[in-house]
Amino acid sequence: MLDLLEQILKQAVERVSSQVLTYAPGLLAALFILAVTLLIARLVRWVLVKIIKGFAADRFLRRSGISSMIDQTGRLQTSQVVAKTAYWIVLVAGMLVALNSFNSSLSTRLTETVVFLFPKLLAAAAIIVVAAWIGRYFGRTTLVWAVNESLPWPRKLAVCVRAIFTFAGVVAAADHLDFARSVFLAAFIMVVGGMVLAGSLALGLSGREAIRRYLEEKKGTPRETIDDRPLWTHL
Amino acid sequence: MNEDLVSQEANEALKRIGSADIVVGIPSYNNGRTIGHVIAAAQAGLEKYFPQFRAVIVNSDGGSSDGTREAVLGAGVNKEQLLLLTTPLFPVHRLSFPYHGIPGKGSAFRLIFQMARQLGARACAVVDSDLRSITPEWIDLLVRPVLHAEFDFVGPYYHRHKYDGTITNSIVYPLTRALYGLRLRQPIGGDFGISRRLLWRYLSRNDWETDTARFGIDIWMSTIALAEGYRVCQSFLGAKLHDAKDPGLHLSDMLHQVVGSVFRLMQEYEPAWASSSGSQEVDLFGFRFGVGLDPIEVNTDRMIAAFRKGCEELGEIWSAALSRETFDSIRRIGSRNPASEEFHMDDDLWSQVVLDFALAYKRQPVERGHLLRSLTPLYLARVASFVYQTRLLGSNEVENRIENLCLSFEQKKPDLIRRWRSEPNTHRSAKAESVADAKLSLEV
Repeated sequence: MLDLLEQILKQAVERVSSQVLTYAPGLLAALFILAVTLLIARLVRWVLVKIIKGFAADRFLRRSGISSMIDQTGRLQTSQVVAKTAYWIVLVAGMLVALNSFNSSLSTRLTETVVFLFPKLLAAAAIIVVAAWIGRYFGRTTLVWAVNESLPWPRKLAVCVRAIFTFAGVVAAADHLDFARSVFLAAFIMVVGGMVLAGSLALGLSGREAIRRYLEEKKGTPRETIDDRPLWTHL
Repeated sequence: MNEDLVSQEANEALKRIGSADIVVGIPSYNNGRTIGHVIAAAQAGLEKYFPQFRAVIVNSDGGSSDGTREAVLGAGVNKEQLLLLTTPLFPVHRLSFPYHGIPGKGSAFRLIFQMARQLGARACAVVDSDLRSITPEWIDLLVRPVLHAEFDFVGPYYHRHKYDGTITNSIVYPLTRALYGLRLRQPIGGDFGISRRLLWRYLSRNDWETDTARFGIDIWMSTIALAEGYRVCQSFLGAKLHDAKDPGLHLSDMLHQVVGSVFRLMQEYEPAWASSSGSQEVDLFGFRFGVGLDPIEVNTDRMIAAFRKGCEELGEIWSAALSRETFDSIRRIGSRNPASEEFHMDDDLWSQVVLDFALAYKRQPVERGHLLRSLTPLYLARVASFVYQTRLLGSNEVENRIENLCLSFEQKKPDLIRRWRSEPNTHRSAKAESVADAKLSLEV
């Protein structure tokens, strides 16, 4: 009985030690790679902060509105954004290399997938950021215009404009990633179609009123009141 | 950028005329109804007051479809009514050409100036084509200080209704006066006299295709004359009565172009304004007399409603543009619900709003177009407040109110300079370029 127990224990220890012997070098290598990567990532972050600080990139971000799009306080610093992005890219790359050191089929597949997808993800993210930026610009344009024209619900109009641009960006990104392409495209077509219909109805209804006014004026009954009259003597 | 806009047809006309001492320029766009009177007044003015000079009237048209150009070429003057003491030595030529480029008054002026330069004119006057109150004396008053007193820039001085020219009264005059230290009362009046030296300077600039091409042209011309040390004076022209402006044009576009030009030039001319304080009178020619004025209806309720809407919706832009205290004060006014007569935005707050916007224009926390257009509800609030405060006042008392506003701007100038200098400079290269241009033009 004791012999059997001893044999089982021996086999277990052998299996564990064999597994440790198999994976330990990989694990050690992975830990080493991670440590080195962490150091490199920090170094890269520090160098980039120092280099970019002197550039006019912060001014560009502020002017273009990207700064306030990401950070509502408008105090976003380019150096910090670029440095943090580079830091995480180096760190993720290090993790992938570390995973690869195990030389398993799973880690290899994972690495391949990430490497293959990374440029596409990057491009998709860029598409969404650009779309959001354009949406924000036109949203603000709509907001200011609607307020100055005394239109009802300026903020809602602005949000709609912004959402449309952002959504268009998401559709384009999904198309680029080949992810649920038809679903996004169908949704987009429905939204745009709905908008065109709503716009046509609005134009038709307001056009009817404009034509009525025109005909009344033609008949010699001008309807202009002080409220309709523009303010023309500002200069 | 300094391209020649003079067409083949215009060049041939200029060759035929050869040279001129005086050019009167009239920009137009669908002013067929009024331009005949303006042309007749200009021609009469030239024949009566400058009979010994060669003169040309140039109409620069923006593609009118109402027979404006035909009206220009067909306008006649009854010379018997002019009581000419001297027979004119030379006929006054009349030319009318369409201009090309960005549609607007600035582009029209550019063609006029180029033609004046090619003719070698010693003086150039520009007058609006929608004027109903222009008389031959206007030409004399705009041109004589240039020809006989060596002034470079003659600005207009009109009697206007107390609610007329509110952008001038509430923004452009007080700000220009505080910045450049000269009390040029109508810097965007639209009717000016210009010397050859200054005309060449204008043409040497490379910012004709900015807001200058549109409503910004008047303040652009005035500011260059003031900031670059040209000799500036004013002439009293009486009343300014003119046709209603183009109904397709919106107030926020006007504000955008005029105020945007003031702020842009502020950046360029920082060395000129940051070293001076207070203000001085500008020489005024002409005999001042009282005139009757068209009444102006102002709908203050609509203005206050626009301001309230701005308070509700534009907080994100205003908070980025205005200082904390100014923004809070604006919100307090917006949140109160007083009877209309109690609505009040005082001189101190309004001048601070304008100066904060000027700083924000430099800093660019938001896109400049959005920033400038978001000023419209604030401006309407100030106009409404001004209307309430001056409803029962006569023109002299109203002028005193405007004087108080100007003093408020002048008092804030040291603080403006301090804050301006603490902002990062975004206009170094343009400024350096402009200074170089100015040196070149003085050499010319």
